[in-house]
Amino acid sequence: MKTGQTLLTLCLAGTIFISISAGQINADRGKQLWYAKTDGRSCTSCHGDNPANSGKHVKTRKNIKPMALSINPERYQDDKKIEKWFFRNCKWTFGRECNVQEKADILTWLSSQ
Amino acid sequence: MSLNRSMVAGSILMAGILAFSLYGIGQIWASSKNQTDPLYVEECGSCHLAYPAQLLPPRSWQIIMSQLDDHFDENAELDTESRQAIEAYLAEANQSTNGSYRKLRRNLGKQTPLRITELPYFIHEHDEIPSRLIKANDKVGSLSQCNACHKSAEQGNFDEDNIFIPGFGRWDD
Ligand code: HEC
Ligand code: HEC
Ligand code: HEC
Repeated sequence: MKTGQTLLTLCLAGTIFISISAGQINADRGKQLWYAKTDGRSCTSCHGDNPANSGKHVKTRKNIKPMALSINPERYQDDKKIEKWFFRNCKWTFGRECNVQEKADILTWLSSQ
Repeated sequence: MSLNRSMVAGSILMAGILAFSLYGIGQIWASSKNQTDPLYVEECGSCHLAYPAQLLPPRSWQIIMSQLDDHFDENAELDTESRQAIEAYLAEANQSTNGSYRKLRRNLGKQTPLRITELPYFIHEHDEIPSRLIKANDKVGSLSQCNACHKSAEQGNFDEDNIFIPGFGRWDD
């Protein structure tokens, strides 16, 4: 279990590293995905239009803290948590999982905000 | 001989102190487990408040926990380790808070409700609140958002002297 996770993290880190070194990560593409609408749904449905502000869960209205790393330094600390929410939220928003490239693009954009 | 005896007495005393402090730690641990299990709050409190365990019968939690991939039209899936830890927490917390809000479980018969807001006693307690204060109230939205009105909901307190409806105020009936 532990080694499985470590391996997974290593693979992910490796892929991100390869993409970076190949110059393929693109924050602008991440931004486009963030705002892209699919059947009226987008990442902003819950996280709000401005990542520097708090969002609100579209269904439960629970407050969600800002996604911009500069405003909320507690973001993106735990790989397991990041993967869990990408899995849930991409499925909810786009009706499918996001691939490694898309996740890297989005994370890079959010982290630069 | 007397040295021996005082050593025996000393060991008994030490054992007593040890047992007592272990008991104390156990108590603190048990009470902290009651409402604020950090894993439960992290995993079940990110989309809505972490609903206190005593609000549903154990069989309801079992079903909820067994179908997290289809959770009220959301995906709340967990890895096996976290899911089992939360199942154990809910079962235990449910037992230790068995007396609180027992009324909620009245008239359930054989039903296994998956929502607190569907319990007959819950409906009875909330049917006088006009919908403009719930659905049409941007700060509430639905009755599932207990903490919008019950100010100590996260601590498992739903007493009537702790209710404040946004845009309306304190509720006295
Ligand atoms: C239905 C509501 C909802 C939608 C839509 C949504 N999210 Fe989220 N997201 C949440 C909630 C709730 C959390 C967890 C609470 C928190 O971290 O504050 C979260 C957390 C995250 C995290 C984890 C952040 C961290 O600190 O590790 C990432 C990454 C994320 N979302 C990305 C996305 C992306 C990308 C999209 C669009 C594809 C998206 N979200 C759409 C509700 C949503
Ligand atoms: C990805 C978001 C999300 C996560 C994570 C989540 N839930 Fe939910 N939950 C919801 C939504 C959405 C509803 C429906 C709320 C509504 O109708 O307003 C809900 C409703 C509920 C209800 C019924 C409330 C009522 O109306 O009486 C219970 C009980 C519940 N969740 C328990 C849990 C437990 C236990 C966990 C952790 C294993 C959990 N939830 C994690 C999104 C989530
Ligand atoms: C719109 C505001 C509002 C929301 C949301 C709400 N309640 Fe209430 N609740 C009330 C009011 C008002 C009363 C008192 C009703 C009366 O006695 O006339 C009450 C009464 C109760 C009582 C009875 C208290 C007692 O001392 O007998 C319980 C238990 C309770 N609510 C639980 C919940 C739970 C659990 C939730 C979420 C699933 C919830 N409530 C959501 C407003 C709300």
